[in-house]
Amino acid sequence: MASDLMSIAQSGARVARGALEVTAQNIANAATEGYVRRSLQVEEVSAAGGPGKQNDISLSGARISGIQRNADLFRQTEARRTAGEAARGSAELAGLENIEAAIEQSRAFDLVVEFEASLLALTGNPTDPSLRAATMAAARNMASGLNIASDSLDAVGVGLRFEAGVAQDEVNVLTTELARVNIRMARSGEGSSDRATLLDQRDSLLERLSGKLDISTTYNSAGMVEVRLGGSTGPVMVSGGNVSALASTEQPDGTLAYTLGGAAATVAGGLIGGKGQVLTALVDRKAELNAIATGIMSTVNTAQTNGTALDGTAGVAMFSGTGAGDMTMVLASGTKIATAPAGSPANSSDASNLTALRDAFTNNGHAQLMSELIFVASADVAGKKITSEALNSIASAARIALDQQSGVDLDQEAANLVRFQQAFQASGRAMQIAGDLFDTLLGLR
Amino acid sequence: MVTVSTAAFYGRANQQLGSLRTRAEALQSQIGSGERLARSSDDPAAAARLRVLGRQQRLSGVDADNSNRAAADLTLADQSLVSMADLVIRAKELALQARSTILSDTNFKLIETEILNLRQALFTHANARDAAGHALFGGEVAGAAYTETAGVVGYLGITDSPYTELGDGQVVQRSLIGPDVLNFDDGAGGTTDLFVVLQNFADALATGGTTAAAGATEALDLFDAGLEKITSAQTVVGTRQAWVETIGERRVAANELNSEEQAEIGGADLASTISRLQELMTVLEASQASFVRLSGLTLFDSLN
Repeated sequence: MASDLMSIAQSGARVARGALEVTAQNIANAATEGYVRRSLQVEEVSAAGGPGKQNDISLSGARISGIQRNADLFRQTEARRTAGEAARGSAELAGLENIEAAIEQSRAFDLVVEFEASLLALTGNPTDPSLRAATMAAARNMASGLNIASDSLDAVGVGLRFEAGVAQDEVNVLTTELARVNIRMARSGEGSSDRATLLDQRDSLLERLSGKLDISTTYNSAGMVEVRLGGSTGPVMVSGGNVSALASTEQPDGTLAYTLGGAAATVAGGLIGGKGQVLTALVDRKAELNAIATGIMSTVNTAQTNGTALDGTAGVAMFSGTGAGDMTMVLASGTKIATAPAGSPANSSDASNLTALRDAFTNNGHAQLMSELIFVASADVAGKKITSEALNSIASAARIALDQQSGVDLDQEAANLVRFQQAFQASGRAMQIAGDLFDTLLGLR
Repeated sequence: MVTVSTAAFYGRANQQLGSLRTRAEALQSQIGSGERLARSSDDPAAAARLRVLGRQQRLSGVDADNSNRAAADLTLADQSLVSMADLVIRAKELALQARSTILSDTNFKLIETEILNLRQALFTHANARDAAGHALFGGEVAGAAYTETAGVVGYLGITDSPYTELGDGQVVQRSLIGPDVLNFDDGAGGTTDLFVVLQNFADALATGGTTAAAGATEALDLFDAGLEKITSAQTVVGTRQAWVETIGERRVAANELNSEEQAEIGGADLASTISRLQELMTVLEASQASFVRLSGLTLFDSLN
């Protein structure tokens, strides 16, 4: 027997049904994150003619040879890489914005200017107790403004390290999961729907992983992935079923040092890389803030000790502390502000020491330095905003390119539904004709 | 094959509408606050300039306070000088009367009483206080500028009147010290002051007779010299008042420029901001409408 119309029709119906099922699956997963559109691979089944039967018709219909996952490896890698960079950019932007807010919203600059203004006002009438009290208050406010700025920067650091820690835990979960997927992948059959689902899982895990840190990947023929940290020569994170765990330790300056499987490693990209870069910037800003605070303390304290207080005693330091965090106003009362030069009698209205302090304050440019600190912090943000916007648009373009190829288009699926339904009906019709033929033969008398 | 992924379509629409909304809200907050910059990173250079301008304005405000005080002290000094001049003129009238030999000792006695009163009044004026309660003519020493011990009036103040900063490195002296007003040349190579002259005149009047008339003649010349000194002090004070006023006008002009620059750099121009908001709203509405139309366009509706 060469061909069997009934079994050809049956195979056609089975293929059409399978195609309908795949279409329904596509529709059901139209909004699923990381789902790649499936399509059915169909093959014709036919036998070669045997000896003496070269011209026979030997057709056996069609069969489903596999489920195809419409993913382009290059576009996937590109989407993943750009998404990782965008994540790094966003993390950096968010962190730098926090630094800017910490410095700017402490109003430290305004309070430094206010202190300067109070000194100027006191020059007008150096013996006035209310002006002296106002200067004391301005000094105290300036110190607490710098305290707040320093504390806020510390809080930004704590937040960054916490977020980096959460991301690091997530990385370890993701790499463990990837190793598990790798093992299951080895056991799945080529072209099976199980394989397609595992590939989806693998890609979605890789995408989440590359959002956290920079990775490079290589695939073997079975679909198992080898993940390396950084470039293609970086340390191995996942290979087959083996995982190297990511760990970090906090350095004395507040930055984080990473190890992968016990060996020191550098994380430059993704969310963790972004947080790391902000932590480095934070160290710089903190140092600059401390330099400003110690500068102010040294200028004011030097002038104080050069002069004589209102009560005729030698001037003493106005501020104590080692930086912006612990700067404190320590003057006991307003009368201790040393407005008069050394050797002046009590109640002297000679303001030359105060004038010297004011000149030193202006010439050392403490307010200007504070303004520059805010400028640097805000310029970082403004620059990073542009970079981050660019990275985001690149990432979304890559994502669209990937989606155009691998995403589900409901209109297309609707058309497919109709197409495969018709194919199914046509096969049914073929079956009916096969039955009719059989009946015709049986009906011969 | 290029397909239009449904998920990508919704994702993009979300992103676009979201970004339009964010921009509209930024404009709305600009209109609400009147400030173009909500935080420094919106425009770091402009924000830095605004901080410099803000500092200048704050310090210039203190300068204004200081020069107001200087102006007040100068006005007080001016008033005191007018009163002192009046006193000296009255003393001069009395000296003119006393020069006449037809007066009796009783009359001299009356004049002496008035001269001593004038001396006391002069002492009070010389010890006037400034706006802050310090000695106006004593270089702002905390106590009195002059004290009287056993009939001798001595100057206790310092040798120079203090300076007030008016801003831009300009200074002015708030007052004069007593010796600059009351001490003058006695015509015989030495210096004397009005207290001594008045006291000597009173003493001569107390003696009566020709001594009184001679004392009056001598006092008359010295009163002229004293009055001249006070008048020239008034001129000095007047010049300083004018100087404070000039610097004040300059400060007002500089402040105006400063405010103008601040508004230009940091202020939100209402007209253009509102029109930009309107433009964004139009785009947003159109995007929303087209999104609704597009998302309603599904093949499933047409298939039965």
